[in-house]
Amino acid sequence: MDWNNPFIHVGMMLLAITIAFTVVMMIVAYTVLAERRVLAFIQGRLGPNRVGYGGMLQPLADLLKFIFKEDIVPDKSTRFVYFLAPIVATVAALMTIIVYPFGPDVYVPFLGTIKLVITRLDVGLLYVLGITSVGVYGIALAGWSSNNKYSLMGGLRASSQLISYELSLGLSLIGVILMSGTLDLYSIVEQQSSWYGFKWNIIPQFIGFVVYLISAIAETNRVPFDLPEAETELVAGFHTEYSAMKFALFFMAEYVNMFTVSMLATTLFLGGWNGPFVEQVPWLGPIYFLGKVIFFLFLYIWLRGTLPRFRFDQLMNFGWKFLLPLAILNIILTATLMFFDVPLFRFR
Amino acid sequence: MLALLFLLFGGLAIGCAVSMVVQRNPLYSAISLIGVFISLASLYVMLAAPFIAAVQIIVYAGAIMVLVVFVIMLLNVEEEERRRTRLRYLVPTAMALAAILIAEAAFIFYFVGAQRSPQDPSTSDVGLTSSIGTGLFTKYLLPFEITSILLLMAIVGAMTLARRAAIVGPLARVIPGAQSLPRHRVDGEATSDATQIRTTSTAEASRLLQVDESRRSVEKE
Repeated sequence: MDWNNPFIHVGMMLLAITIAFTVVMMIVAYTVLAERRVLAFIQGRLGPNRVGYGGMLQPLADLLKFIFKEDIVPDKSTRFVYFLAPIVATVAALMTIIVYPFGPDVYVPFLGTIKLVITRLDVGLLYVLGITSVGVYGIALAGWSSNNKYSLMGGLRASSQLISYELSLGLSLIGVILMSGTLDLYSIVEQQSSWYGFKWNIIPQFIGFVVYLISAIAETNRVPFDLPEAETELVAGFHTEYSAMKFALFFMAEYVNMFTVSMLATTLFLGGWNGPFVEQVPWLGPIYFLGKVIFFLFLYIWLRGTLPRFRFDQLMNFGWKFLLPLAILNIILTATLMFFDVPLFRFR
Repeated sequence: MLALLFLLFGGLAIGCAVSMVVQRNPLYSAISLIGVFISLASLYVMLAAPFIAAVQIIVYAGAIMVLVVFVIMLLNVEEEERRRTRLRYLVPTAMALAAILIAEAAFIFYFVGAQRSPQDPSTSDVGLTSSIGTGLFTKYLLPFEITSILLLMAIVGAMTLARRAAIVGPLARVIPGAQSLPRHRVDGEATSDATQIRTTSTAEASRLLQVDESRRSVEKE
């Protein structure tokens, strides 16, 4: 097949994006179901188990309900921004999917050997961070345009929280970048292959991993950092005035964000698609990758069932006075150990 | 294909820039400016400078504009009224400057552009991460370090300005009796610490809050 033909190239790209989009949407839908079921089991309930076998068709029923619900737009809202906000949130959440490598080179009948990554960017990691930082606008603008005090408080809380935790999130990744010397996610995964998992970045970069994990939970507005939508104080926070499909877009954006930060954690710290026998059977790669991502998603649900919510001043103090110094300490430590050529910290 | 994309993003950038100037609502102007930054980043990608594009998005669209939007939301700035009378002299100035800009663009387009054979952007490595990093830490090390010191000074300056000098205003009075005060009311450096501090008497509370005891007693009489 002629890969240099621009029409074939663009066509294959669109096909790959469509497949990735479908897979992500399926996983998101079933993460919502899994969250409801697992939370129910943690709390000694059964959860939704009526639609389909064990509730397996519940996401479809939810979707139908969202589509047919009445769409209410507040009378005094700023209409243009009010419609723009959920679009920004969802688009920003979905745009990062294209850079994650989810498998090694595999052989596909009729197509030959292909790479299981949609696009390899020289600045893949920066692209992810940039798009994530644009996602704040969706929440902030939603809070402002609804013309509702609870929405506005939720929007303000969300923006200050996201700005604060974005710093420690970005700094926690510097250690990995220092060691791998590239921003290309595909190369970072390849560097972690072989040696039975001892080359995974989680071992030398354990502090970075912990800081990343905590900041990522705050970035996705999840319990225990879900202050922007604290229902006891703010009704539903920034999406109080949103109904029907527009609310569903915010809901979807939150779960897609959970999925993408889990993919980033897997790619950078847990060796991406690497695992036993992946050299012999390349198709194991995507399975390992998804398995690791699902582990993180389960961790999110588990935390939600376990931890109470922070107070806002505790949240800010924790972010600025604990996580940020810890991330900077990790950078200094990594750089020093690399300078003295300590075995685990050798430049790759 | 590239020309089409260039027209799309270039047109988007110009449209957003015009919208930013024309809009009367400051938040709409801010959103238009974000649109300008994002379309500029797309243009950088097409010029084979992905690093600069990513930094453009992270720094301008992701950090600076978030702060601008945050402040507009926090202050709830109203739509500004048009003040044609005060800004009348600016119209001819702007027109003259625009004429100079268009003349410059035309000059580059016809004279400079004709002399040089255009370089294929895909073969250049100017915008790649590694070449920018190498340049910053070898050839341009001194300007880089000076910039970092400038930024550090800006941070220190911002922190000094943001520190509250007085905890309460000159007209404040203390509620009589024992009470518990959140720490950020008492300590000027704790901005958001709500830990409760218990006081046993009016005198202790006024000492903590630095309220003038003598004035209070004068008012009592």
